[in-house]
Amino acid sequence: MSTPNLISAAYTWGQFTPSFVLVGLALLILLTDAFLPRLNKQLFPLVGSLVTATLACFTAGSSASALFTTLACAATAVCLLMAYDYRSVVSASVAGGNHEDGVAEFSALPLLACAGVCSLIRSRDLIMLFVSLETVTLASYAMAGYFRRNQGSVEAGVKYLILGAVSTGLMIMGAAWFFGTTGTFMGDTRFLLAALSNPYLSAGVLISVGLLLAGVFFKAGAIPMHTWIPDVYQGAPTPVSAFLAVVSKLAGFAALLIILLPLIYLQSTVSDMLSSLISVLAVVAAGTLLVGNLGAIPQQNTKRLLGYSSIGQAGFILVFFISLKPTIVGPVFNYLLAYGIATLMAFAALATLRMQRGSEELSAFRGLGKTNPRTSFLITVSFASLAGVPLTAGFLAKLSSFQALVSTINLPHHIIYWLLPIMIICAAAGFYYYFKVLRFMYWEKPEQNDTPVHFSPVCIAILTIGTLLLLVLGVTPLIF
Amino acid sequence: MMQNLPWLFLVLPLVAAAADWLLLARRPRMAAGVSITSVLATLVLCIACMCGLQTGTPADYTWFPVQGIDLSLGLLIDALSIKMMLVVTGIGALVHIFSLGYMKGDPSNHSRYFAGLSIFMFSMSCIVLANSLVLTFIGWEMVGFSSYLLIGHWYHKETAADAAKKAFITNRVGDFGFLIGIMLTLGLFGSLHYADMAGHMKVAAGSPVLTAAILFLFCGAVGKSAQFPLHVWLPDAMEGPTPVSALIHAATMVAAGVYMLVRLQVSMGLYAFTDTACSVIAAIGAITAVLSALMAAQQDDIKRVLAYSTLSQLGYMIMAVGLLAGEAAMFHLYTHAWFKALLFLAAGAIIVCCHHEQNIWKMGGLRQKMPLTVLCFLAGTCALVAVPGFSGFFSKESILEAAWGRSLPLFIVGIVVAAFTTFYMVRLCLVAFGGRARTRDAEQAHEAGPSMLVPLFILAAMAIISGYGFVADRLVPFADFHAESTEWNVTFFAGLGSLIVGGGLAWFMYAKSAADSAQSDPFGSHIISRILRRRLYIDSFYDHLLIGGVQRWFTCLVSCIDDGVIRRLVGHGLALLTAWTGRLLSRIQGGSLRGYTVVASLGVFLLILLLIILF
Repeated sequence: MSTPNLISAAYTWGQFTPSFVLVGLALLILLTDAFLPRLNKQLFPLVGSLVTATLACFTAGSSASALFTTLACAATAVCLLMAYDYRSVVSASVAGGNHEDGVAEFSALPLLACAGVCSLIRSRDLIMLFVSLETVTLASYAMAGYFRRNQGSVEAGVKYLILGAVSTGLMIMGAAWFFGTTGTFMGDTRFLLAALSNPYLSAGVLISVGLLLAGVFFKAGAIPMHTWIPDVYQGAPTPVSAFLAVVSKLAGFAALLIILLPLIYLQSTVSDMLSSLISVLAVVAAGTLLVGNLGAIPQQNTKRLLGYSSIGQAGFILVFFISLKPTIVGPVFNYLLAYGIATLMAFAALATLRMQRGSEELSAFRGLGKTNPRTSFLITVSFASLAGVPLTAGFLAKLSSFQALVSTINLPHHIIYWLLPIMIICAAAGFYYYFKVLRFMYWEKPEQNDTPVHFSPVCIAILTIGTLLLLVLGVTPLIF
Repeated sequence: MMQNLPWLFLVLPLVAAAADWLLLARRPRMAAGVSITSVLATLVLCIACMCGLQTGTPADYTWFPVQGIDLSLGLLIDALSIKMMLVVTGIGALVHIFSLGYMKGDPSNHSRYFAGLSIFMFSMSCIVLANSLVLTFIGWEMVGFSSYLLIGHWYHKETAADAAKKAFITNRVGDFGFLIGIMLTLGLFGSLHYADMAGHMKVAAGSPVLTAAILFLFCGAVGKSAQFPLHVWLPDAMEGPTPVSALIHAATMVAAGVYMLVRLQVSMGLYAFTDTACSVIAAIGAITAVLSALMAAQQDDIKRVLAYSTLSQLGYMIMAVGLLAGEAAMFHLYTHAWFKALLFLAAGAIIVCCHHEQNIWKMGGLRQKMPLTVLCFLAGTCALVAVPGFSGFFSKESILEAAWGRSLPLFIVGIVVAAFTTFYMVRLCLVAFGGRARTRDAEQAHEAGPSMLVPLFILAAMAIISGYGFVADRLVPFADFHAESTEWNVTFFAGLGSLIVGGGLAWFMYAKSAADSAQSDPFGSHIISRILRRRLYIDSFYDHLLIGGVQRWFTCLVSCIDDGVIRRLVGHGLALLTAWTGRLLSRIQGGSLRGYTVVASLGVFLLILLLIILF
């Protein structure tokens, strides 16, 4: 069967319903904005959020792709809710604050990106994977540089664009090498085996896998493709940073699973290649852990801190891949879930502080424990979960990452002996820098003219539901 | 679903505490309502369980699996635990209701207070219902925490804050031993579940490690049940609100040590407790009983008298455990819980009505001002001093009976302590209730309100009847408990004799000064009185020698290591290292796009190179 037929046989139209719905909604929002200029623009993020949330409910299921789709849609819904709160800043940054221009596009772009994620999760060949990933990336470029009057945002957009272009180039090159050596774009085991058993081709397969991984690492935020993260998170509008930190990262790990899973099923026959792949993954995981967690220590800007934190957390997720078993899909998802909830909460709180105290520095959290005791508790739970405090979901997630590494103790590669100490150091470093936020909330006194921060009902709802989820997931052993 | 019903014992108070703390911080009345509802619901559930509601075995809760060790948490529902729960929830409910009246008009945050009570109910239920030492230990630490919160409820008062700290730290000392004991048990038995212990006894029996394990576990009881030498925190804990003293520091928490030991005896079997272990336990109990009875004899603060009397009664119970008479220990625990809660709550009513005056030499004449409260207090006193016919009489009798059979010295200790008990209680009653009012506060005293009186009446009824066979056989927290009928034997007459001697002595010494409305203890300047008032110098010994001497030197040593090695070498070293890495990283993350691209490309190149080299 020729390659195009092979690809089209792998999919049904029905699989992509979520993507169609999201793209349709995005177009509808753009058209409505163009033809009904009098319409209240607040509606756009609300409707977008509502539809994505509904979609999340409809796509829910027990299969891996259903789980990932649900999480992506739900996270997008939360980001849109944050965008709803953020609309005054959006209009100020885009149109000078006179009217609410630009809110519609700002609501449509995350929908398009989410559509890309949904189709990425279901892709089974490199073409589909690449197209979906680029859909996410293109929408993200626009979002990151959306505040065209804000220098930081523009800089973020440009950096993301150029580094993204590099990663896209690497990835398409990887796809080309893959096709060249195996003659297919599918993760088809027969062709892969044939290529690997041929001594002239096997190096080519390795090069292709390496290049593909590089492209995926860009999204997942692993070294060496992590360099964009701190700058872009810091510069991009806060809801966009949240989107990049959660949905985009989820897309990266979904893609990583899609690329690696065929190899996992080949485990016994290509053990040479797998062992070198595992070692490289371990090196990447270690480097990502160290860069993310140690780099976060000196940070003073909360968004930059969360950027490094997202690199560090990606390192913990990469550790799962060292055991290279088909069963890692569940733990990876659980980790992303715990990380996603806590990160969205942190960004939601930060967005409000950014609007009201005008600062994204850690010191913006000063004295919140005095002025907003209940909200501080909710924020505390989110950072505690990121750090991995027991009784929160983050603890069980980190624990499962450690357990995944410990389960490889009997394998011949002995990665555990040098990776485990690094993980422990990094987990400890995490406590240090996440608790810096708590220190500002509870130990620093509010300044004289500090009034209680008014958290909008939307933000409070995000924080409360997130806290409940984190605590429930943290004490119920059902999921982890 | 039905089988998991007992989990409500833990969930309800926990939810109530969380609601009080997080949602109802500014709505004290609703917070009180939530807490009282939760405690009443658990009481109803408990009564239902006792009346034969069969729930089956509740499912275990495993937080996360650990290879090799079963750390799952579960509930053990049997006669011992469920009847103990009746004591806890019953007195708990009465104290909650009493608190409504007691805290009325108090400016502190009532939501915090009721949240503290609820978290205590949760932790105490953990201890009572635990099916393994793991959950017991969690509850053990949690009661310590809630006790800390409640003693320090009036934290702006320095004495209260200090007392809370003292209680917490002293308990930590005992808990440390307890933890070692748990580790030893795990090593010996391979399991921490009470149900598995008997099965593993064959391996462990006779081993000196078992004795060590039991003695270390006993350390936990020494801390929590305030036994000598860790008894010092309990009298100070009286700085907390009086209902708290009644619930935590008289009826339930301090009895947890006794309960835990009896639970161990029941599940390991009596022969696990070797002679060495038994002698140590009984001796500690006896020493505590004597010392605290002595110290109680010269206290002027009504709550402190009761606190020392609690210590000495706990000494009785621990002694009974050491005599392998767990049945008698639990019998006394159960009667003591009711009558001591009664005494404390009545004292609380008196304190509130005398405008927070606690010195008995500033009261006087209260029998006319608040007759109902005083009557209730007298009922409690009769039970405590073991007047025949009152509940305390039966349980004390059973302990003395056990001592008579096994050890004469301990029997004599029991009798002497009984005499002292009568002495200080009669002294207290004479001074506080007899004669005329000594101060304006006492003169203006009036009868307590209904929310305080109703719990008092219920407790008074229990203090009188709970010792009789028809009540005790059903309610005493021990499987197949059977109250024995009173015999006219040595113990009966010895008990009666100590009652007469102690009471007579107190009457002889204090009847006159009570009638004359003396302003202070006429014997207060006597050398013995002074020694007793200074608590036999045990607290001073701790303060000066242990804290001022040993601890100071030790602190110096530790701080030298801390400052020199940890701070300078490790701390600064780490700081330098991280600063260095941070600088390095920030050089990479300098914002230069070209730099980023170089890093990324170079990195990918190395990555592929590594992939090929390792292939």
